[in-house]
Amino acid sequence: MKHNGLFRRTTPAPIGTDRLADFSYLEPGVVYLDSACQSLRPQPVLDALTEYYTGYNACGGRVKYAWGRRVDDEVAAARQGVLGLLGLSGRHYAVSFTLNTTFGLNLLLQQLPHDRYARVVTSHIEHNSVFLPTMTAAKRLGVPRLVLDRAADGALLYEPAQLERAIVVVNTASNIDGRLLTNLAELVRDTHARGGIVILDAAQSMAHERALLQKTEADAICFSAHKMYSASLGVIIARHELLASLELSFVGGGMVADVREDSYDLLPNDPGALLEPGLQAWAEIIALRQATDWLGQVRPGGRPPAEHLSVLSERLFDSLSDIPNLTVVNAAASPVISVYAPKQDSHRLAVFLSQSGIAARSGYFCAHHYLKDRLGLPPLLRFSLGLHSTTADVDRAHDALARLMKGLS
Amino acid sequence: MFCIAAFIVLLFMGAVSARYRRYLAKAASCMLRRVTFRPCDTTFKQDLKDHMLAPLAVRRPGLVGPASVVLEVVAFLVVLTTIWSGYVVVESAANLYVYGTCNKQDSASCSLGAEACSIPDQTPTFGESLAAWDIVGAFGNDFVRLGETFSAIPSRMQNWDAETYLPANASYLNGLDAKKPTALEVIDPGCTYCMELFQNIEEAGFDDRQNLSYIAYPIQSATGYKFPNSLLVTQYLEALRLNPLADAKTPVDWQILKRIYTEENAEGVSWQSVLNSTDATEATTLLQDWAQEFGLSRAQVDTVASVAASTEVARIIADNKTLVEERIHTVKIPSIIFDGRRHDGLVSVGDLD
Repeated sequence: MKHNGLFRRTTPAPIGTDRLADFSYLEPGVVYLDSACQSLRPQPVLDALTEYYTGYNACGGRVKYAWGRRVDDEVAAARQGVLGLLGLSGRHYAVSFTLNTTFGLNLLLQQLPHDRYARVVTSHIEHNSVFLPTMTAAKRLGVPRLVLDRAADGALLYEPAQLERAIVVVNTASNIDGRLLTNLAELVRDTHARGGIVILDAAQSMAHERALLQKTEADAICFSAHKMYSASLGVIIARHELLASLELSFVGGGMVADVREDSYDLLPNDPGALLEPGLQAWAEIIALRQATDWLGQVRPGGRPPAEHLSVLSERLFDSLSDIPNLTVVNAAASPVISVYAPKQDSHRLAVFLSQSGIAARSGYFCAHHYLKDRLGLPPLLRFSLGLHSTTADVDRAHDALARLMKGLS
Repeated sequence: MFCIAAFIVLLFMGAVSARYRRYLAKAASCMLRRVTFRPCDTTFKQDLKDHMLAPLAVRRPGLVGPASVVLEVVAFLVVLTTIWSGYVVVESAANLYVYGTCNKQDSASCSLGAEACSIPDQTPTFGESLAAWDIVGAFGNDFVRLGETFSAIPSRMQNWDAETYLPANASYLNGLDAKKPTALEVIDPGCTYCMELFQNIEEAGFDDRQNLSYIAYPIQSATGYKFPNSLLVTQYLEALRLNPLADAKTPVDWQILKRIYTEENAEGVSWQSVLNSTDATEATTLLQDWAQEFGLSRAQVDTVASVAASTEVARIIADNKTLVEERIHTVKIPSIIFDGRRHDGLVSVGDLD
C-alpha cells in the first residue's frame, strides 16, 4: 500500500494483516507502538483537517459569512461530542480547547482562587504535567502539597481527612504501566464531601479507558486530543462552578463581551470561553469532532475497541514476559507496557528497534520522580498500543526485541 | 572521548554540509563538558553510537559489543591524531617563522620555505625514538625542539645587524667601504644553493652595494660532513683570511669561493661539483693550485696549507659553528643577513635588488 501523503485520501487496498483500513496509509514495514505519546490519526480525521483548510478556512465565533457559521456549528458539535463520549451534560460541564493536557492543567491550577483550598493532593505516579503544576499551585496558594501512594491496581491510597478542602490532581491511567484510578468515584465523593475538588489528568484514559470516566462527577478533566486519534489539541472539561470560581489572569480576545479603558466584561453564558483566550485551532477542534464520531463507531477486526486492545495487550504482555533478562514493569497487561533490561540501555534498544521499523519509546516518560527518584529504575522501554495495532505488530516487536536481547547478552 | 571525536569529525563535515551543522552545537556542548572533566549532560554520545551500531544490531546483535569497543578506540585515535596534528601545525608554523622551514630537523624537506641545504638535527626524530622504544625521549626531544623554537622567536623578531655577527678576520668580496652597509652570508662551499645565491648576488649587483662577507660553515651529518671536502675548503679559506695576500683587490679566499661557485673545468663541470666528488688529496691540490694562480707564492701556499691544518683554524671554525648555531640560530644554508633581517635559504635576484 502506497499512500500519497497524510492529507490526501488514499484508495483502500488489501492489507496483509487485520489492520484497520483507516490506517492503510501506514507503510507495511512500520510498527508504531507509541500511541501513549500520540496516536496515529485515522483517515477520516485527516480528511476533516484537509476539508477545513481547503473548504471553509474561517475563524470561528466572530464572523458572519457562511464559512464562519459552519465552523461555529462544527466547534459546537465538537464540544458536544466530547461531553457525549463521557456521558456528561452541558448543563453542568463546559468544554474548553487549549494546547495539550499540561497546558490545560496549568490553566486551571494557576487560576484557582486563594483562601478556598487547604492543600494540594497528588500521587507519586504522576506525569510531570501533574507533578510540577501541583508544586507551583501549592506555592502560589500558600498551601501544603501532599503526595500520596497508589495501590498496585491504581487506586489512590488516602485517609478521608487528607482530602479536607483539597485540590486533588491525579491521573486516571498511568503512562508507565496503564494502571487505572480504580477508586475514582469514591475519591470524588470523599473529596466533595470535604469541600475539595478533583481535577483529572485523563490523557492516557480518554482513548481506550473512557469507561472509567463515564458520568464522572469530577470537577475537571483534562486530556489531549492527539492521544485519542485526533489532531494536536488540548481539551478541558470543567464544571461551571469551578470555572466561575477562577481568578482569571490569562485573558484576551475571544472571551470578552466588552472592553473599556480599565475594565472588561467577559462573555456571559459561555463558561468554556473563560479558558480560551485568543484565536483557537479551528481545524484541530473540527478534527476532534470527527475523532469522537470515529471512536464511537470503529470496530477493529470486527471487535469493540476495548476487546481488540485487550487481546493485543495480553499478547504483548505475555510475549515480553517470556524474553529472558527483560524485566516487565507492569503488574498486568495494559495497552501501555514498560520494560527494561538491567544490562542494556533502553535508549539503545529503542534505536536498534527503530532500525527494524519498530517505533517504541524510551526514557522516563516525564515521570522522573516516580521512576528515577522513587523506584530508582533506569530509563525504560515502552510499548503502547493503539487501535491501528495488529497481532502482527505485536509479534514483530517481540521477535525483534527477543533477538536483540539474545544477541546483546 | 567519543564526544570529542564526534565534535572534530562534525566540525569538518559541518564545514561542507549544513546537514551536520545542527549536530555540531550538541557535539560542542558535549565536548566542552568532557574537556572540563564534567559528565556529558546530553545523550548525544549514546545517540550517535547507537545510530551507528543500529544496522549491525539488526543483522548481528552479538557483534554490537565488540563494535562498540572498536568505535571507542577509533574515537580515541581520532582525538589523538587531531591533537598531534594540531601540535605539528603549531610547531611547523613556529619553525617556519623562526627558521624559515616547517621542519627544523630537515629543513630541505619543507617546501614552504626557501630552497636550502639543511643542517641536520642530530637528535633522533620522534619516529626513530619510538622505534627504539624510547617513549620519553620521543616526546622529550620534540618538546625540547619546540621549546628551542619558541625561545628563538624574540631573536627572529630583532633588527638584524650583520656587523654584530662578523667572524674574526672577516674578508669582504669587494673590500670594506665604510659608506656601504654590511651583509653577511652563512655558506657551505659544497652547497648548491650557496652557489646559486652567489650567482644571484652577482646578477643583482648586491656585492657592489654591500660590504659582503661570509661565515664558512661546513654542514655536519651523522657520518661526517654533508659535502666531503667542505671542511677542507673551509680550512683553506680561514687560513687565507689569516694570511691575506697584500695588495690583492679581491681577497684570495673570495677568489677561491668565486671559482667554486661560478666557474667550470674544461669538461664543463662546475668546480663545486668537482670538489664535492673528488677525494681530499685532489681537492687539496686544486686549492693550492688556485691559490698560486691567484698570486700566492709556493712558499705562501705551503704556509697556508700548514695554517689550514692548525689548531688555530680549527678553533676559528669551531667558534664560527657556535656563532651560527647558537647566536644566528639558522638551520638553513645559505643564510644571509642584510636590511635588518635574516634571510634563510636561497634569496632571489629580485629580493636582493
